[in-house]
Amino acid sequence: MMQGNAGRFAWGVFLLIFFAYLFGPLILMSISAFNSATYPQVSPWECFTFEWFEVLAADEKLMAGLQKSLLIGFGVVCMSVPIGLAAALVLTQVHQRVRPLYYTVIVSPILIPGVVLGISTLIFWDRLGMMFDADYDSFFYSGTFLTVIGQTTFISAYTMLVFIARLQRFDPVQEEAALDLGASHVQTFTKVLLPFMKPAIASAAVLAFLASFENYNTTVFTIVSESTLTTVLASKVRYGINPSISALAVIIVVLTLIGATVHEIRKRRQMRAAAAEGLDPAVVNRAARATRFASPTAIMIVAITIAGLATVWMSRDYSVMECRAQVAEEKQRQAEERREALQAERQQQLQAEGAADSGSSQSGTADRGQSGGDGAYQNIFAPTNLQSQSGEEGAEEAGSDSGGGDEEQPYGNIFAPSNLEGGDD
Amino acid sequence: MKGIQAFFNKNGLVLSLFLLGAVGIWILLLIILPQLFMLDFSFRYNLPPAEIGGPMDVYTVENYRYMIFGSVNNPDAFNVVDVTVFLRTIAAAVFVTLFDLAMCYPIAYYLAHEARGGFGRLMVLSLIVPFWVNEILRAFAFRILFGSTGVINNFMLWAGLTDQPIDFIREDIAMYAGLGYAYILLMVFPLYNAVESLDRNQIEAARDMGASWWRIHWRVIIPYAKPGITSGCTMVFMLSAGALAAPQILGGPSSLWFTQIIYQWFNTGGNWPRGSAYAVILLGACIVFVLLMMKVFKVRLGEIAR
Repeated sequence: MMQGNAGRFAWGVFLLIFFAYLFGPLILMSISAFNSATYPQVSPWECFTFEWFEVLAADEKLMAGLQKSLLIGFGVVCMSVPIGLAAALVLTQVHQRVRPLYYTVIVSPILIPGVVLGISTLIFWDRLGMMFDADYDSFFYSGTFLTVIGQTTFISAYTMLVFIARLQRFDPVQEEAALDLGASHVQTFTKVLLPFMKPAIASAAVLAFLASFENYNTTVFTIVSESTLTTVLASKVRYGINPSISALAVIIVVLTLIGATVHEIRKRRQMRAAAAEGLDPAVVNRAARATRFASPTAIMIVAITIAGLATVWMSRDYSVMECRAQVAEEKQRQAEERREALQAERQQQLQAEGAADSGSSQSGTADRGQSGGDGAYQNIFAPTNLQSQSGEEGAEEAGSDSGGGDEEQPYGNIFAPSNLEGGDD
Repeated sequence: MKGIQAFFNKNGLVLSLFLLGAVGIWILLLIILPQLFMLDFSFRYNLPPAEIGGPMDVYTVENYRYMIFGSVNNPDAFNVVDVTVFLRTIAAAVFVTLFDLAMCYPIAYYLAHEARGGFGRLMVLSLIVPFWVNEILRAFAFRILFGSTGVINNFMLWAGLTDQPIDFIREDIAMYAGLGYAYILLMVFPLYNAVESLDRNQIEAARDMGASWWRIHWRVIIPYAKPGITSGCTMVFMLSAGALAAPQILGGPSSLWFTQIIYQWFNTGGNWPRGSAYAVILLGACIVFVLLMMKVFKVRLGEIAR
């Protein structure tokens, strides 16, 4: 649309920014999974390590949450696919005048905020349980049951939309023919309609499972005292971050990439098959273009594989422990240098003040005595280190709901050398 | 009744029962009754379980009054905290929506009319892939990016753009970026669907008549894509106003999102009726927004939720 080199250049820059925005965070998160630093970060880079994957696998809470998520996902698929199919079929049959109202009602769960759906489900079943005087172990209060119900409410609307799209291409004459030939209604349904809907059922099931698996807003209310993978993740991210979460993200991103590639390959094969039958010149054309498309994807996959293999090869005789020791040493050395510089500075200041105040020199020695102890404490008490730590704490507080994190860098100021001097005066 | 008779004749008994049963359960037990119960519950006092249904269990507007005017001892004319948070949530959601629209319109147009086969498909795939990654993890990624020792801060320190780490999380920049990111796909696809069906000849005609490129967009493409724009904007607005994960993970400590207040009433606050009242208010705001969009842009609901 935009002519000229300037326009094309601007467009290129925009595309670059857009895709950097789209992929940058995911790529950086994936990289941080291989950094041995205990806070997920890319820079400063410490050591290449797989240890966070081990930490992840050993995390029982996450694994229990994963199991529950799979169970709930299965339940949601079992409920939302039939409901969505039924709703789509009914939509084709309801009277013209009722249709807008009916459609509004069944589409509304998509537009209702997930939080509201979760709350209403929770309250509804809670009140019902009270009406029936149910036990607290009964399903009225079971987090798993409530979550399946709450998620089904809106996921059924998703599956219904998938079925509607497929039904639009269904020729009702086929059904009539089956009925005329003496098939029962149920036979017509299972032998004619269901086979036609099979691809839609498959994609609706996948969609329902994925939507259920990653849902947070509804689940966080309906799950009550249990937890799914998503809620475990959320509490981990809010209250204490470590790179094992990045490791999980790497796994999910890789699975997603594999899924997308498989999907793409299958789609292309279908197209080629259609092209071979010579159905439609447009399709043939598309298929031809799709073959050309093979190159970018193939190149990408090959590149990723090579990069992966190369990393494994490089890390063959590479010891994480050794590298960690090196990094720790380096950190210690830096801290030492900073401390010495600081002390020299302080000494100078003291001299400038005429060293009249004995209290200040005393506190100076006390400080020296502490930090001169063993190596483990050295880093902690080094002022710079402290600052960066409190920075992290600030970030963690930011995520929590307390809203009480008003004081910036809670301990940073107390231990800051300048503060100490100020106190001495 | 005649309609139901015809329905049973058309589908046979077994199938009719299945269809009506499934749809009935969904609409009544899952959609309508829970909402009504929540509405009912929001007009009640917060009572211990033993007293529910007893003589104390009467209707009240106390929870709504609290949302607007605060507790009885509140010296201000309004419940400043909650009302501010509510208005800020709405305003921020509008901002996120506009941001996504500005980001996605060029992409959607390009995908629909300029991109050639392979590259276009690769672009569609690469739009979908981030969307499959868990919502929490996406927010987490932005925390790594924007944290005080995050990549952006480190880069800016290194490049000398700033001499002190900027607290993006406190400034809510991280949250806006994260929210905008989360719902990009829901903006791109409605736009793409709308723009794609436009006959290219219309664009050619406008160009032949001497219209400049922005004029073509303004007078030809955007009016044509209006249903898609409305649909995308509505979805993004609703989802970001109702978002919980991104504000919890990326929000600054001093700025709450309205859903977080609801969450607090249910968890730490332990006042479910008040929480439901707040949820009803959120739902009401969303309904008003959808109706407004339908009215202003003259589209039907069916065109929005697709």
